[in-house]
Amino acid sequence: MIDILKRITHETLGLFGLILVTIITVCAVLANVIAPYDPIALNIVDRLQGPSASHWLGTDQLGRDLFSRVLFGGQIALKVALVSIGAALCIGVILGMLAGFGPRWLDNIIMLFFDTIRSFPTVMFALATVALVGPSLSTVIAVIIVTSIPNYGRVVRTQTLTIKSNQFVMAERVMGVSTMRILFVHILPNVIGPLIILASMDIPTVIALEAGLSFLGMGVKPPTPSWGSILNDGYTLIRNTPWPIIAGSIPLVLITLGFTFLGESLRDLIDPKLRKSL
Amino acid sequence: MIKNTAPVLVSDPKRRNFLKTSGALGLAAAAGGVSEIIYAQDKKILKIRTYADMRSLDPAYSQGVVDEEIQSSIYSKLIQYKPGREWGYELDAAESIEQVDDTRIKFKLKEGVMFTGGFGEMTAEDVKYSYERILDESLESTNTPDWGSLKEVTVDSKYEGTIVFSDPYPPAWNIALPYIVGNIISKKAWEEAGGKVDTTTPCASGPYMHQEWQPKQKTVLARNPDWHGGVAAFDEIHIFPIDDENTAQIAYESGDIDCTRVSLGSVGNLKASPPANSTIEEYPSLYYVWVGMNVENETMANADLRKAVQHCIDVPSILQASYFGAAEASTGIIAPGLIGHRPKGKLPPEMNIAKAQEHLAAAGLSDGVSITLDVLNKSANVTTAQVIQATCAQAGITVEVNLHESGAFWSLGDSSSGERYKDIQLILNRYSMAPDPSYATAWFITDQKGIWNWERYSDPEFDKLEAAAKSISDVAQRDEMYRKMQDMMEDSGAYRFITHEASPVIYRNSINPAFRPDGLPLLRSFSSS
Repeated sequence: MIDILKRITHETLGLFGLILVTIITVCAVLANVIAPYDPIALNIVDRLQGPSASHWLGTDQLGRDLFSRVLFGGQIALKVALVSIGAALCIGVILGMLAGFGPRWLDNIIMLFFDTIRSFPTVMFALATVALVGPSLSTVIAVIIVTSIPNYGRVVRTQTLTIKSNQFVMAERVMGVSTMRILFVHILPNVIGPLIILASMDIPTVIALEAGLSFLGMGVKPPTPSWGSILNDGYTLIRNTPWPIIAGSIPLVLITLGFTFLGESLRDLIDPKLRKSL
Repeated sequence: MIKNTAPVLVSDPKRRNFLKTSGALGLAAAAGGVSEIIYAQDKKILKIRTYADMRSLDPAYSQGVVDEEIQSSIYSKLIQYKPGREWGYELDAAESIEQVDDTRIKFKLKEGVMFTGGFGEMTAEDVKYSYERILDESLESTNTPDWGSLKEVTVDSKYEGTIVFSDPYPPAWNIALPYIVGNIISKKAWEEAGGKVDTTTPCASGPYMHQEWQPKQKTVLARNPDWHGGVAAFDEIHIFPIDDENTAQIAYESGDIDCTRVSLGSVGNLKASPPANSTIEEYPSLYYVWVGMNVENETMANADLRKAVQHCIDVPSILQASYFGAAEASTGIIAPGLIGHRPKGKLPPEMNIAKAQEHLAAAGLSDGVSITLDVLNKSANVTTAQVIQATCAQAGITVEVNLHESGAFWSLGDSSSGERYKDIQLILNRYSMAPDPSYATAWFITDQKGIWNWERYSDPEFDKLEAAAKSISDVAQRDEMYRKMQDMMEDSGAYRFITHEASPVIYRNSINPAFRPDGLPLLRSFSSS
């Protein structure tokens, strides 16, 4: 891991991505310390102010400090991304390995489940679910987990199918090693690399999805700050002030760039075909 | 000849371009494209925005002003609202109409008012059928209250009839004859359709016909060539349902629509730098916005909790944050200028946290309580909800805001759409209004529980007053009764009145719009300038 990090720092884009991701993550994690104001405290007298020394990104229609809301919005974005991708990754790995290593009938059932999920466009699935059960952060996370599982599961299944016919795996089986040991000690380490790349590339997509749902009022509930809800406020007020739109857009752009650069660098380093320095 | 001229033709760029263009046009014509382009260019199309999608083309099931904008364009009434700044009416299908005594209105139809689709001429039988079917209990019309004490319509001759009320019903002139239930449909057509229609209609008699409905996209009306009033101004009217006023403004600025209501927050900027060839006008609104509380909900059944919420809501802050200070606080559901308007409510617009806490203590909820607020997902509403959330928090009331898209929101309180109405605790609502106080109070009687009365408020005295006030001709007495009804609503704790808003509209100078005095469009009277 340290070796990979060292190599990333030697790539310009990788380093740039790492710096962006680190800054945004630190800002989000330390939002309680950094934010100058309570992100949900109303101050209607100071509404729709432009950037100033007291409000770096101005205020929204309720006089809330936009800089503070952006920082706390980062917590929501990262929480959604990490929890949903982490959970989807875990479930996808287990289901993918079971499909690849298990009997044919189990493979068929799991693949049917994956195909069924994949047949729904993600955004439509999210909108339908939110319309049924109501908007909330947990609904958004659940939707992302369900729709992301097949992405990881399919990759793991393919890798497992390839690895399971290798001689070292067959030797383990002949020696009577348990299936669980084979899966988690021998197969998992061999499939985890591509998954990390995939997950890092998925993070901005998931953050954008959460922001999109919040923009439509179907994500987090008011007054919880989210980059999407900041954008929505900004959109409705764009003729009065551009600052909420700018405040909501900047972190989305930066985090997308950051994770994309970081993911691409990881791919270049981990994928042997693309690895130039080794 | 050909041999000599051919090189000249090829070398002549103008001729070559001409040939190219001709060839292209020829191909397009062969594919049917040219005739379509020319046809489209010749068409006079009015493109207008409504805040919600069409729900029904049956006057019995009309869901308010959006359906009525369409229905009043495709059906005829005896009288129609007169466009302008003062409330009044003008004759439509009626040649004459007269209140002959307290309970009878006599009318005579114009001859030659035709229904499309071969359903013949409009007669007094059609008027009788149209009006009386609204009262038919088996039809379960949501608009029955509009007809008040209507008893029957007697047919005196082919074109003449008498509208008979069991009690005097002055609101008939304001909210029945020129509004939703005043639409006249063809008895023959409706009977052939099984007694009711939904989003299609078998015939029209107004200036336009319903041509197409693309759910959540647009409704298209086409000119009715047989309209008794002459030639309708536009070949087609395209009506786009756009919830959000800012989106509508963008659609207007990009040329997608010709007329729309805009948000109060935009008025200042629009006046400062109006879009080219556009006019902005402001009309006083009759809409009423309030926070309702479901008195049958287990938590909100506690009257002291409801009163605590009333005191927690700071109307001036809402007006500043959500309406940019451009709207006034309301004192009830009846707007200024109408009979029954209260100059002052029983509760001041400002919040009173101390009183809220007193009521919370009386409710046994001194340690705080969590309640939900259901809101239509529209920017002003979401902002209002957050102000309410913040001010309630000061008294120890935690408000969870539930946002809903239009379709889900408008079915929340409808008890025929499932059990969700039971879960409503607080709801931020906004109803349209017609220019008679009875149109406001009619939705809060016991019979409207689960239809439009989402607070499920029920008071026999209120019901009696509501029924009586509609049948009194004495203006002062009516005024007093409607004021008392709003006092009762406020005393119940189930209502916190917010505002009547305002109606700023923008339209292109290429059209001559026609608005009611409250800024709502009368599409049938729009024309091109």
